[in-house]
Amino acid sequence: MAVDPSAHDTTKAPNAPRWGLYGRLSVGQKRTIWAWTFLAVPILFYVIIRFYPTGNAMVLSFQDWNLLGARTWTGLDNYTRLFSDPVFWQVFRNTFAYLLLGTPISLVISFVIAYHLDQVRFMHGTIRALYFVPFMTSAVAMAWVWRWFYQDVPIGLFNNLLATVGIPQVRFLNSTTNALPSILAPAIWAGLGFQIIIFMAGLRAIPRTFYEAAKIDGVSTWTVLWEITLPLLRPTIVFIVVLSSIGFLRIFDHVFNMTSANPGGPLNSTKPLVLMIYQSAFSSFDMGYAAAQTVVLFVVLLIVSLIQLRLLKDR
Amino acid sequence: MTQLILRDLVKRYGDTEVLHAINLSVDQGEFVVLVGPSGCGKSTTLRMIAGLEEISSGIIEIGGRVVNNLEPKDRNIAMVFQNYAIYPHMTVRRNIGFGLKTSKLSKPEKDARIDEVAGILGMTEYLERKPAQLSGGQRQRVAIGRAMVRDPAVFLFDEPLSNLDAQLRTQMRLEIKKLHTRVGKMMIFVTHDQVEAMTLADRIVIMKDGHIQQIGTPAQVYHEPANTFVAQFIGAPQMNLLDATGTGTGVRLWNGAEIAVPGITLAPGRKLRFGIRPEDLTSGAEGLLSGTVTVAEPLGAETLIYVDVGGVEVTATAPGRTPPRAGDKIGLSLSGEAAHLFDADSGLSLRAGGA
Repeated sequence: MAVDPSAHDTTKAPNAPRWGLYGRLSVGQKRTIWAWTFLAVPILFYVIIRFYPTGNAMVLSFQDWNLLGARTWTGLDNYTRLFSDPVFWQVFRNTFAYLLLGTPISLVISFVIAYHLDQVRFMHGTIRALYFVPFMTSAVAMAWVWRWFYQDVPIGLFNNLLATVGIPQVRFLNSTTNALPSILAPAIWAGLGFQIIIFMAGLRAIPRTFYEAAKIDGVSTWTVLWEITLPLLRPTIVFIVVLSSIGFLRIFDHVFNMTSANPGGPLNSTKPLVLMIYQSAFSSFDMGYAAAQTVVLFVVLLIVSLIQLRLLKDR
Repeated sequence: MTQLILRDLVKRYGDTEVLHAINLSVDQGEFVVLVGPSGCGKSTTLRMIAGLEEISSGIIEIGGRVVNNLEPKDRNIAMVFQNYAIYPHMTVRRNIGFGLKTSKLSKPEKDARIDEVAGILGMTEYLERKPAQLSGGQRQRVAIGRAMVRDPAVFLFDEPLSNLDAQLRTQMRLEIKKLHTRVGKMMIFVTHDQVEAMTLADRIVIMKDGHIQQIGTPAQVYHEPANTFVAQFIGAPQMNLLDATGTGTGVRLWNGAEIAVPGITLAPGRKLRFGIRPEDLTSGAEGLLSGTVTVAEPLGAETLIYVDVGGVEVTATAPGRTPPRAGDKIGLSLSGEAAHLFDADSGLSLRAGGA
């Protein structure tokens, strides 16, 4: 490296550029270079691990492939087969049942708990931790514990309790009508802790003087809730609704683990779209068909999220 | 008829007493300012009047009725908060109308009332806007409008001008004073700014550490401060307080200078605090006190000068276009009539019969 004699010239500014090309860049350009250096790794990762397979799956949905053989073009065959498959429509209904029951129920329960917990000072931290524990528990472990709850006498907890008070047995997981709500219950319970924490953060962010001003105006608790608290919680509600909707549309592990003898049963009454995709891909090895179902799920998720954002974010 | 009376008002948080037996009586239409440094209990007092804080002991009476156990809405009061507390998701009309939510007026009557208040505040054209589209001063007007629409007997203001910039604060101060003249209702105003207190108040209540230090008109608290705290809190620049001893007919300052103080007899040798406001000190070539100017702060009309008099800093004002500069040796002269005398131990004024 040649030493520039002017570097020792004291008449020049002490921090005059002397490190070649990089040293001659402006502060803004240097920042850009560093930002892209750090961004490059995750971008590369996402392109290879996420975006490439997504595109590939879309292509695959127009092909026939059993994982080992050649991929052959079949046009729209996978989609026509899907839309004329009664199991698919059953699964489609199930998926929306999870969404349309799960999201509002979990939203209301978590808000009611957060709203009251916010006013409790006694053992506040402990109570909040108790609500958060299910969120940290593995879905598989939780599903198996609840599965035990739902068993018949003399094993299952719920039926034993019912038996002691003389109420007839309820067939939780073996009935086509009861199975879906029975699986939904632990799924809602699992997400509750997270939603409560988010709601409480939202409640805390509302300035106290808003409530004091309302108190001086003498409006009822109900009016305060509907006209002050809920409208000001709108961003929080949007966040929770979108997040929990995506969660319920993608429900899989609770269903799979609670009906593992006959996944999605009885008679497909609990089978969600993700489970159908799983079975098409890894039981039937019908990758093209699974890809077509995946594309449908992708479109559904996209539409539902966009509708919610539009509806709830309005102004 | 409407009178506000605080009798032996006490506030405790657990074992800590933060407000010690406050006594105050305010007449109808009076503008009273509670002023003091932070933590002096002025806001707590106001919030107790509003009904937002519980009363530990003592009595609050509004219009001849003890309101201790009444909900805020039943006390016939309205409050304006420091951060305005106007709802961001409601229009100005709904915000102002929120104060009428529980009123028994019909819808057209309510609308008429909102329009009237908006007219007084000059907010008519902004009624359909959201708070985000308003400036700080306009938001403050909405908050005042919400209080006015309820037509209360008492208006409570909790540092309502603190969030505004200096220029707007002066302007809103003037508007609040005009509003008071117009509606003629009792107003209790809390601030930490003594200029706000002096300009707005009919009477000022100066508080410190949960005690009332002095109650009086702006002129009284300025010219006859009850103690050294009030003397230094009211008036900017601060009053000079110098060590002195009595000489019978006057005082001898810490540096030996003697001044005759008319109308008062002081035991020789009695330890005192000698108070003199900067504007009562006249600078010249010669004077009773002589020293070196350490800092000069030009304010335009006059210049504030800090003079080192034998190790003690004395503040004075110098008028005119050729004020002394830092480093100048000057003399300061004063008249005994302008002096304020305080007991060295208790800090109480010796003029107001304190002795």
